Order: sequence, then C-alpha cells, then structure tokens
Amino acid sequence: MSEPSVLEVEGLVKHFPIHGGLLQRRTGEVKAVDGVSFSIGRGETLGLVGESGCGKSTIGKTVLKLIEPTAGRIVLAGEDISSLKPGAMWPHRRRIQTIFQDPYSSMNPRLPSGTIVGEPLENFGLSSGRDTDERVARLFERVGLRPDAMRKYAHEFSGGQRQRLGIAKALSVNPDVIVADEPVSALDVSVQAQVLNLLIDLQEEFRLAYLFISHDLAVMRHISHRIAVMYLGRIVELTTKRTLFTQPLHPYTEALLSAATAPDPKRRQQRKRIVQGDVPSPANPPPGCHFHTRCPYAMPECKVTAPPLIEVAEGHHVACLRRPVGGDPGPLSVPG
Amino acid sequence: MSVTSGNILEVRGLQTQFNTLDGVVRAVDGVSFDLARGETLGIVGESGCGKSVTALSILRLIPPETGRIAGGSIKFEGEELTTLGEEAMKGLRGHRISMIFQEPMTSLNPVLTVGTQIAENVVRHMGVSWRAARERSFEMLDLVRIADARRRLDEYPHQLSGGMRQRVMIALALSCDPQVLIADEPTTALDVTIQAQILDLMLELKEKTGTAIVLITHDLGVIAETTERVVVMYAGRKVEEAPVEALFAEPLHPYTRGLMRAIPRLDIEADAAGMRPRLQEIPGLVPRLTQPIPGCAFAPRCGFATERCRAEPPPLVDAGGGHTVACWEVDRVRASAL
Ligand SMILES: Nc1ncnc2c1ncn2[C@@H]1O[C@H](COP(=O)(O)OP(=O)(O)OP(=O)(O)O)[C@@H](O)[C@H]1O
Ligand SMILES: Nc1ncnc2c1ncn2[C@@H]1O[C@H](COP(=O)(O)OP(=O)(O)O)[C@@H](O)[C@H]1O
Ligand code: SF4
Ligand code: SF4
Ligand SMILES: [Mg+2]
Ligand SMILES: [Mg+2]
Repeated sequence: MSEPSVLEVEGLVKHFPIHGGLLQRRTGEVKAVDGVSFSIGRGETLGLVGESGCGKSTIGKTVLKLIEPTAGRIVLAGEDISSLKPGAMWPHRRRIQTIFQDPYSSMNPRLPSGTIVGEPLENFGLSSGRDTDERVARLFERVGLRPDAMRKYAHEFSGGQRQRLGIAKALSVNPDVIVADEPVSALDVSVQAQVLNLLIDLQEEFRLAYLFISHDLAVMRHISHRIAVMYLGRIVELTTKRTLFTQPLHPYTEALLSAATAPDPKRRQQRKRIVQGDVPSPANPPPGCHFHTRCPYAMPECKVTAPPLIEVAEGHHVACLRRPVGGDPGPLSVPG
Repeated sequence: MSVTSGNILEVRGLQTQFNTLDGVVRAVDGVSFDLARGETLGIVGESGCGKSVTALSILRLIPPETGRIAGGSIKFEGEELTTLGEEAMKGLRGHRISMIFQEPMTSLNPVLTVGTQIAENVVRHMGVSWRAARERSFEMLDLVRIADARRRLDEYPHQLSGGMRQRVMIALALSCDPQVLIADEPTTALDVTIQAQILDLMLELKEKTGTAIVLITHDLGVIAETTERVVVMYAGRKVEEAPVEALFAEPLHPYTRGLMRAIPRLDIEADAAGMRPRLQEIPGLVPRLTQPIPGCAFAPRCGFATERCRAEPPPLVDAGGGHTVACWEVDRVRASAL
C-alpha cells in the first residue's frame, strides 16, 4: 500500500475481568485480545477469520470505541483515538461505522425504517427534515430497496432486506471505515450473494475500508484483499488472500483450510488432515504458543516461548517458532 | 408391503401443515424419497424449505397443537409410521430411528449427567440392567472419542464444550444401534475444525455400524463431502434428486444451479489478478407457504419460466442415471451453459 492507512492498530489488548465466588471477587481475566496489530488502507478489505471466541468481535468493538482498550494504539484517519473519552470521540464516530450479523436487534421496532436509516444523519447534524428524507430515499435506492419502503417497519423486511437497511444506515454518514461483523452469516446463500455483491460495489464506489469479520473461509476469500487469521486473542498469520490460500505457513491456518468443506464431491478423496482436540478456553490459554496443544508440528520449545508475529517474507506475517524469516516455505516435518 | 426392497425408509407424498395466524403453512407439500440400508442421504435447501419438518414428521414429533401430517405415507421397514400408535412410536424413537439436532442443549437434559442420560435410553429400549447400561454409556463416549470418558460420564451437559456436546448427542443417538440416524444440521453451530471432526466421526461410525443416515443441511460443502445421494428441496417440495457426483457435475434444476452459482468459489486466478468476480444472485425471495402455489414454486425467480410453469406444477421426471428433476424446461436448462 503506497498511501497511508486509514485505520492503524498497534499492540491492541483487551482483557475482561472474570468474577467468581460468593463475593464476586475478581478471580482472573479473559485475554480476549492479546497484542494485535494491523492496518487497513482506503478501498481495502482486511478479513479477520478465526473460531468462536478468538476475539474477532472484541477487536471490532474496540476499534469502534464501543469498549475501551486495555492497551494499544488505534489511529483513525491520522488521529489517535485510543484514549479519547466519549465526548472527545464523538466527532470521530462518523468516520467509523458498523454492520452487524443481526441488524434487527439494534433497530427500534416502533420506528419506520426510513427514520432508523436517517438517525445518524440527524444525530451528526449532517441534515434535517426534508433534506434527510431525500438523502434516505437515495440511500434506499442505492442499497436496492424501494424508497416507498421507508414507511415500513423493520419486522416487515426479510433478513436480506434488513441487512440492506443496516448497510444504508452505516453508509449514510459517509464513513471511511466500516466494521462488518459476520454481516452475511445469518443469510441464505442466494441472499448472501446479493449482499456481498452490494458491499463490494459500495466499497469500490466510495473507497471504503472494511474490517470484515467472518468464520466462513469462502466468503472471506471472496471479499478480502488481505486476511488475518486469529487464534485465542492473537493474530497468527496475516498476508494477501492469494498467499494465504496457496501458501499458508502457520500450522493453524493449514488446519483451518483443510477442515473447510468445499462444494466438490471429488475433494473428499484427498482425505484431510484434521486437527484434533478442542479450542482451549481464552480464560486459561496454554503457555508459549497458544496452538501447541493441537499443533502436529509442536516442539518442546513451543510450550514455553510465545512466537511473535514476524514478517517472514514480503507482506507475509507469521507467528510460529518453526517459520523463521526467509525460511523454507515447504511443509513442516512432524517431530518424533 | 415391499419388505424385500433394499429400502429401510420410504417416504411418499408427505404433506405436513401448520395452523398459524396467517393461515395454513404447507411446510412439506408432497415430498417423496427412499433411504437404502446403510446409505447416507443428504437433504439440502434454504431456511424454511421444510427440511426440519420432514425430519420431525418421520419421527412423528410435529407438535399436535398446531401441526399435523395431512397426507402421504412414511414406511420404516415396511411398517406405516403415519398411523402408528404413540406407544409403538416411542419404542422406535431413540432405538431404531434416532435423531441429532443442531443445538444439542435442546435434546440433552441439563439436570442429568451425560452417563445417566445415555444409560436411561439403553435401559428403556434394551431392557438391560443399569450396570450394563452404564458400561454401554462408557463404551459409547469412548467410541465418539471423548477423552477421559470414564470421568465425563458424571458430568453435566453445561460442563462440556459445543463439540463435546455434539459428540454426546451422537453417542446417545447410536447407543441402541439404530437402523436410521436423522441428523438435522448437526454441525451448523460448530467451528470449522470441530465440524470436520464431527463429520469424520459420523462417517467412520456409519462404516462400523451400518446405520443409514439422513443428513440435513443448508451447506452444499457438507453435502458434497459426506453424502452419497442428495434431495434438493424448495418451498416444501422436492425439486431434484441425484447421486452426489451427478448433482454437482450437472445440476439440472434452475434453483439448484442458482444455489451453486451463488456460493463464493475458491478461484486462484481471480485472486492473483486481485479481482473479486461477481457472485450470481438468485433474484427475489422464497414464496410464502400460506398461499397455495398453483404452478412451479420457483417460477417467480426463474429465468426459464413460461406460462405453463406458472399454471401447472412440474412432475418429477427421470433424467437418467438415478437423477430426477421437477422442471418443465429441463431440456432447455440442460442445453444452457452451467
Ligand atoms: N463483555 C465481556 N466480558 C467478559 N468476557 C468477554 C466479553 N466480551 C467477550 N468476552 C470474551 O472474550 C473472548 C473473545 O470474544 P469475542 O466475542 O471477541 O469472540 P469472537 O471471535 O467474536 O467469537 P464468535 O465467532 O463466536 O463471534 C471470549 O472468550 C468471550 O467470552
Ligand atoms: N411449529 C411450527 N408452527 C408453524 N410453522 C412452522 C412450525 N415449524 C415449522 N414451520 C414452518 O414450516 C416451514 C418449514 O420449516 P422448517 O422445516 O423448519 O425449515 P428448514 O428447511 O429451515 O428446516 C417454514 O415456513 C416454517 O416457518
Ligand atoms: S510455534 Fe510450535 S506449536 Fe506453535 S504453531 Fe509453530 S510449531 Fe506449532
Ligand atoms: S418448471 Fe419452469 S419455473 Fe420451474 S424451474 Fe423449471 S423452468 Fe423454472
Ligand atoms: Mg463475534
Ligand atoms: Mg431446520
């Protein structure tokens, strides 16, 4: 990326306290996000993929400043917003918007959909009255809804149409960055295709940066330019999608790719290497490399030393003790 | 009665309906299929197309307050299930026909230990002693590869991870050696690496026990990698059926084709060029099931539709090689590019 990033995150940490016992004393903490760094350029999609509980949504909420980071820097369009208090954050909020998996839960069921979509415009003082109505009508058209649907209530829309409402609302204030947290996970494939196409069109038209969160590798591969793979609060691999899918270097990425199903019955002959065991609890992650309990290539040192995320080849970042800078990108050997 | 046929289950013209405030929902509207002994049959379609209601109908678990099997026949080992008494049905469920659901917590009892739940099922159906049943519970947990199975017998469902709960469900479902296992979205709530473990386990156990499986899912990837034959459903009807290779090599129903084109593909060339090819959308929405659909249910969204499609429901026709499809325009569809 030659131009400066529109969102930069450095050493982001978010710990949640765990309370237990009769007195609800603090008994520990969940390291939901444990030192994560990445950046996103204008017009770029960075995909964030990983299994349930690995910290994807927590990253999303932290960069949106819906929750306060424990440590680390968040730089939005050149401004450090990491420690801005809500009042000081307000002018920056317009720049970073969000789309959820279930937009319905965040919509007031008693307001017409047009009012819901127009809310941010009015809240940020960007327009009012008739002007808002006209802008909202144009937004409805842009996301593929009929403007006369502005009078309808959220429950009168289908899942895909509600997602369009959510997109229109996020788009209304002309943001730089959109955090999309599983935006198509609840949709059927035929409708999912409609929404993904719309997101790509809008990104190209408005040069939006997307932080796109998903657990679906095929969706991820479709929409992303670069992908970060997470495991238990840390990024374990970050590179372009092509490299990730053709030359994954981290053993966890390899496990994810080989576990994913594909709509091709011929693929099942090439029997997969399935990683065994469960994902450990983020409240009590294994020491050293978090993946060592499931990694077929683990060495004794992996139980002790946490591998940092390093750039092992140009633009290819990996956190594995067996993947040194400039190392052989071939398959790892199973010890013993 | 065709007890001699190789089919363990034969469903014919099944119709299941619900009374709702909006009218009668025709959730399953004339569905037929066979399940051969030891076979893995997939049922695929988008949400609301009637997959779960088909499964619940076979097990006669449709809530009687609002729903009913309004027509058709379900034969298990030649025996008609739609008219079988509830006591006899109870003897079949969990014994000769078992089911696993998407969310194991809905079918596991939260206040009983895992070991007790499996043992109860074994005592009820096999009439063995508690001690023997408990030993069977241990064997089953071990079979589904739950580590430290002896200790886990005394744990409650909430103490287990999602993947382990699904393993317990499988152990419970297989504990009395069923002839048919119906699995409704068994891995939809699981992470990909855990999904791969569970699918693998189901197939491995099928090889061992010879249980026939009906695998219900909305995920064409799961269908492609685990089933032998596939039924595609749309709006309560079967629109296509084929051996899995044939279905993916040449889908014949416009809806099946639409589904396959709508999934993001892994495409190295496009990746290299930095392109993101447009996905093919299926325009429009699924029809409401409260209004009678006179012709083909897919007609409002179908690029091949004609007047006849809107007026008369297309019959299932044999397309050769065990492939059947319900489409008036199948010749035109076949001639068009995939
Ligand atoms: N408010 C909170 N208080 C305490 N723990 C939390 C809180 N929010 C998240 N966590 C914990 O932080 C970890 C990461 O959660 P997060 O929601 O970011 O996961 P995720 O990657 O988005 O998972 P999913 O794919 O299931 O959405 C989990 O262990 C979760 O239980
Ligand atoms: N208990 C019920 N009462 C009313 N309608 C129902 C009930 N169960 C299912 N339906 C309806 O039947 C149709 C098929 O549902 P279902 O079989 O659950 O779909 P799926 O294919 O997603 O499993 C849907 O329209 C659904 O809303
Ligand atoms: S550091 Fe060790 S345990 Fe971790 S991924 Fe690499 S080889 Fe596996
Ligand atoms: S019968 Fe007609 S409307 Fe239905 S799928 Fe075939 S061509 Fe399309
Ligand atoms: Mg999440
Ligand atoms: Mg269902």
